[in-house]
Amino acid sequence: MVAKPTVQEINSLEQLLKLTAVAAAAIAALIIIWYLVKRPPLGRLTKVLLLFGLGVMPIGVALTGNVSGFEYTLKREFCSSCHVMLPYTEDAADPRSNSLAAIHSRNATFGGESCYTCHADYALFGAMTTKLNGLKHLYYYITEYASSGPYGEKGPRIHLYKPFKNGSCTRCHSTTAPNWLAREEHAGMIEDLRKGDAGCIDCHGGAQVHPRSFNHGGNGRAPTASAAGEKKE
Amino acid sequence: MIGLSKITVRRLVNVSAVLTLVALGLMVAGLFWPSPLLLVLAMSLGQLFGTSSLALYLLAIALDLQGVGEDEALGGGDRPQS
Ligand code: HEC
Ligand code: HEC
Ligand code: HEC
Ligand code: HEC
Repeated sequence: MVAKPTVQEINSLEQLLKLTAVAAAAIAALIIIWYLVKRPPLGRLTKVLLLFGLGVMPIGVALTGNVSGFEYTLKREFCSSCHVMLPYTEDAADPRSNSLAAIHSRNATFGGESCYTCHADYALFGAMTTKLNGLKHLYYYITEYASSGPYGEKGPRIHLYKPFKNGSCTRCHSTTAPNWLAREEHAGMIEDLRKGDAGCIDCHGGAQVHPRSFNHGGNGRAPTASAAGEKKE
Repeated sequence: MIGLSKITVRRLVNVSAVLTLVALGLMVAGLFWPSPLLLVLAMSLGQLFGTSSLALYLLAIALDLQGVGEDEALGGGDRPQS
């Protein structure tokens, strides 16, 4: 669950961007339709108006649209628009789940973008903005995973492209907090952890993070009633 | 393909206008239904159409400033067409 204030702030900026984009698009469309219907002679005034309708306003739409579109691709909600990500996103959104993904998703500040905060180097963020790659990734999704079952169970197993870096955790968990260091497991290998010779995920990975992932013993769906005290759908 | 003789300043502007409408449609759709497909389309095709239509319009204006008449064919056709 995400607390109200932060969310409203972010929303209103996004809302503002969207509103600007839509207003600019509407103005552009009005000018264009006026031109197409009335067929005025291409005098100076018409040319200037058209410069707004065909140039200035559409550029405004593209810029504001890009920003708000990019913002949207950082959201957990966006990740869950592809069914193969559901084993991760549904668990993260489950208030009864105690996986690390779910715990981090309940944080008020970054919970709505929790996937992104841990997977900031995920190729899709870059890809979404570098257009062609975005198309390629989408194509791969459509061709490889089109009929892979509701949770992608019949598709190829999904693996991280690059090994998970400690930096993705230590940007928030500094490894200097006294209580953190007081833990034997941490203190015992602090040098290796800081150098990257040992990984946080050696102990905090797998089913602890994503229990429903097929890679970590899950079946995509919520655990059964006996395992987690909840009803199976 | 339209022959060069049929291209007029006005036709260039018309094509630009229609392309821009398509581009605007795509970009606005990406805002309202931000599915991965529409977002990618909005950011690729939408912007491609938007940019090329602006280029067409600027070309038309440049030709116009060069003194090619509004309905005059570029390919040397001597009769104005509308
Ligand atoms: C607390 C940080 C964290 C959060 C939040 C998080 N992940 Fe992960 N994710 C990891 C780690 C660590 C691994 C590597 C696990 C391993 O290999 O042991 C991983 C692995 C993955 C993989 C690779 C396949 C697999 O099953 O190992 C996918 C896909 C993935 N995460 C998607 C997501 C999505 C989608 C979200 C948003 C709901 C998310 N993650 C949220 C830390 C996180
Ligand atoms: C267009 C559908 C789609 C969306 C949206 C999507 N994913 Fe994925 N994701 C996939 C597919 C398909 C794969 C596996 C194919 C592959 O390896 O490229 C995958 C693989 C991954 C992987 C493992 C490969 C890697 O990059 O290391 C991670 C992590 C991941 N996704 C995280 C996310 C996060 C975080 C989001 C939301 C910001 C997200 N995904 C949104 C379809 C999607
Ligand atoms: C964006 C900042 C951020 C990142 C990145 C992050 N964490 Fe956390 N983590 C937090 C916060 C904040 C909490 C406290 C959550 C709460 O109290 O609601 C937390 C809590 C935890 C906990 C305690 C859970 C419990 O049961 O008390 C563990 C373990 C943990 N994180 C491990 C990790 C690991 C491993 C990674 C890297 C895969 C990671 N975190 C990445 C911010 C982060
Ligand atoms: C050798 C195994 C091991 C490694 C490696 C490890 N941890 Fe832990 N960690 C534990 C154990 C055991 C606990 C206590 C039980 C639990 O919460 O899972 C713990 C607890 C935590 C907590 C809970 C809060 C606290 O202060 O006790 C956080 C946060 C955490 N680890 C972060 C990390 C990060 C970040 C890394 C990588 C830099 C890391 N851990 C590496 C074993 C490990």
